Amino acid sequence: MIWIALIAVLLAGVVALNVAVLQLNMRYDKLGRTKVDLVAQNADLESQLSSAAATQRIQQQARAQLGLVAADPGTTRYIQLDH
Amino acid sequence: MARGANRRIRILLFVFTLVFVLTLGRAMWLQSVRAQSLGKLASGQQQQTVTTPARRGTIYDRRGLQLAIGEQATTVYADPRQVTEPEVVARAVGRELSLDPDEIYRTIADRSKGFVYVARQADPKAAARLQRLHLAGLGFYGEERRVYPQGRVGASLLGYAGVDNRGLAGLELQLDGLLAGRAGKQTVVRDPFGRAVDVLNSTPERDGQDVHLTIDHAIQANAQAELWRAVHDWHAKGANVIVMNPRTGAILAMADAPGFDANDFSKVSDDLHRSRAVTDTYEPGSTFKLVTVAGVLSDGLVAPSTTFTLQPEIQVADRTIHDAEERGTVTYSVQEILSHSSNVGAITLAEILTRQQRDVSYWISRFGFGHRTGIDFPGESVGIVLPPSDWTGATIGNVPIGHGIAVTPMQMAAAYAAIANGGVWVQPHLVDHVGSAPRPALEHRRIVSRGVATELTKMLRDVVIEGTGTKAEIPGYQVAGKTGTAAIPLPTGGYSDQKYVASFVGYVPAGNPQLLILVTVNEPQGAIFGGMVAAPVFQAIAKFDLQYLGILPHQ
Repeated sequence: MIWIALIAVLLAGVVALNVAVLQLNMRYDKLGRTKVDLVAQNADLESQLSSAAATQRIQQQARAQLGLVAADPGTTRYIQLDH
Repeated sequence: MARGANRRIRILLFVFTLVFVLTLGRAMWLQSVRAQSLGKLASGQQQQTVTTPARRGTIYDRRGLQLAIGEQATTVYADPRQVTEPEVVARAVGRELSLDPDEIYRTIADRSKGFVYVARQADPKAAARLQRLHLAGLGFYGEERRVYPQGRVGASLLGYAGVDNRGLAGLELQLDGLLAGRAGKQTVVRDPFGRAVDVLNSTPERDGQDVHLTIDHAIQANAQAELWRAVHDWHAKGANVIVMNPRTGAILAMADAPGFDANDFSKVSDDLHRSRAVTDTYEPGSTFKLVTVAGVLSDGLVAPSTTFTLQPEIQVADRTIHDAEERGTVTYSVQEILSHSSNVGAITLAEILTRQQRDVSYWISRFGFGHRTGIDFPGESVGIVLPPSDWTGATIGNVPIGHGIAVTPMQMAAAYAAIANGGVWVQPHLVDHVGSAPRPALEHRRIVSRGVATELTKMLRDVVIEGTGTKAEIPGYQVAGKTGTAAIPLPTGGYSDQKYVASFVGYVPAGNPQLLILVTVNEPQGAIFGGMVAAPVFQAIAKFDLQYLGILPHQ
């Protein structure tokens, strides 16, 4: 009886180990897909950020929404401070 | 009774033993005789080799803004033999992906094929909606699609990565080996539900390297806007500009007009794709006079104040050359020959050089004309320079004033940058660094002494103060530069009297140059002179750049 019980426990252990390995593999696969999705989302956000930072877009928005126009660079004045 | 029961038990035992032996035999037969074939069948059903695509590297401008980046897209394909309702599928695809349903129907109704593309790199959200319809015969997989968030900014410079995400033009082509990376591979065992239960072997993907350019997106955008305005105002065929740091050779902007949206590269004619500053040549006209003047000064044959009495015209072989404007006999110093852009004066100086060992052709080569600059961009032209052995008596009347020779705008910009940089030529470049690698070494060489460079700068300063380039002057700053007006050669020989290239090349601040800008405008209408057409464009671009970069005046 003791031998049967011992073999049963060993077999249960082997099964449990294989189940754990299977679960880890499935989780690994799922994490891999999550990583691909996150990289794709990140790239999409970077692309949106770059579009938002486009000079022409900002100028158009500033003009349309705030009535601002880019100052003539020639009107910039520099003041030299004497120490 | 007991005997009957024992007999039935023995029969039952025999039957169970027989079943057990048969089952055991069957199991042994499957695991020995059929093991290999069944194992292969299982592998084919369960194992799958998946290619994991590498992310293409991002291209950044000098401030870290993304100019080219990969976005996730979904490619939709079909197996026409599996499509049971082609009309339904065509309508659904047309609706979700905004495609022509008739065209889709023709594609998926062809049952002679087992694989057809329905849409490459489609919008992933639209593809997901289509996927949820579970239409038989359609398949989906993810792909990276190259996008250019800045649209028109730097389009001809960046080039294009096609549907296979490989560079086909411009910097995408030049740097494809760095940007592309290497795809990975994974052999996966899947259960009947498609879940991966084991990974047999795996080669990880190696993502492409990110590239950081010397280009500044704001300077590039402004340069393109000013070029576009010039092309519109002068009804010109086209224009291009180079903005460069003369000390380092870093290109801050390289623009062409008319331009296009980089995301529409494949829909635009090939003619617009070219980055003409590197691939195209032009006869430079008077901007080329710098070479002759630099030569005579460097060899000590003349001083800036050396004077020459110049007739209204000069005879060279069978040709008579005169200045652009009618005048009588004048006495010009070398300085004035350049500031007034005198053709007669330039040829006179060239004739002095001709009698020396280091003649005009020597100085042409020394300034880099007839040689590639080595800029990191594909398709660079060497220009068209007549070898000394092919020079005739008339050549000396052409080449020193920028005719009978063809150069690229980049060669011209690099030559003037050398003067701005104290006489040292620096290799122009577009790539600042790749990934975390150190910056590559660039070519430097001295072409004239610092003293000669300083003298030339003073002369070029006079061009802007009182010569042909006054429209390039910027209040508060000292600009040095040269105008150029060159008739375009005719295919049948000779020069057009209606088509010209107007150019201006200059640097600012003259005493401590930090910006060099070259502008060429092709076939302007209404005015043809570099001082009228190109110099104002230089001024507009330089004014913006000086303020943007915080370069102080009076240097």
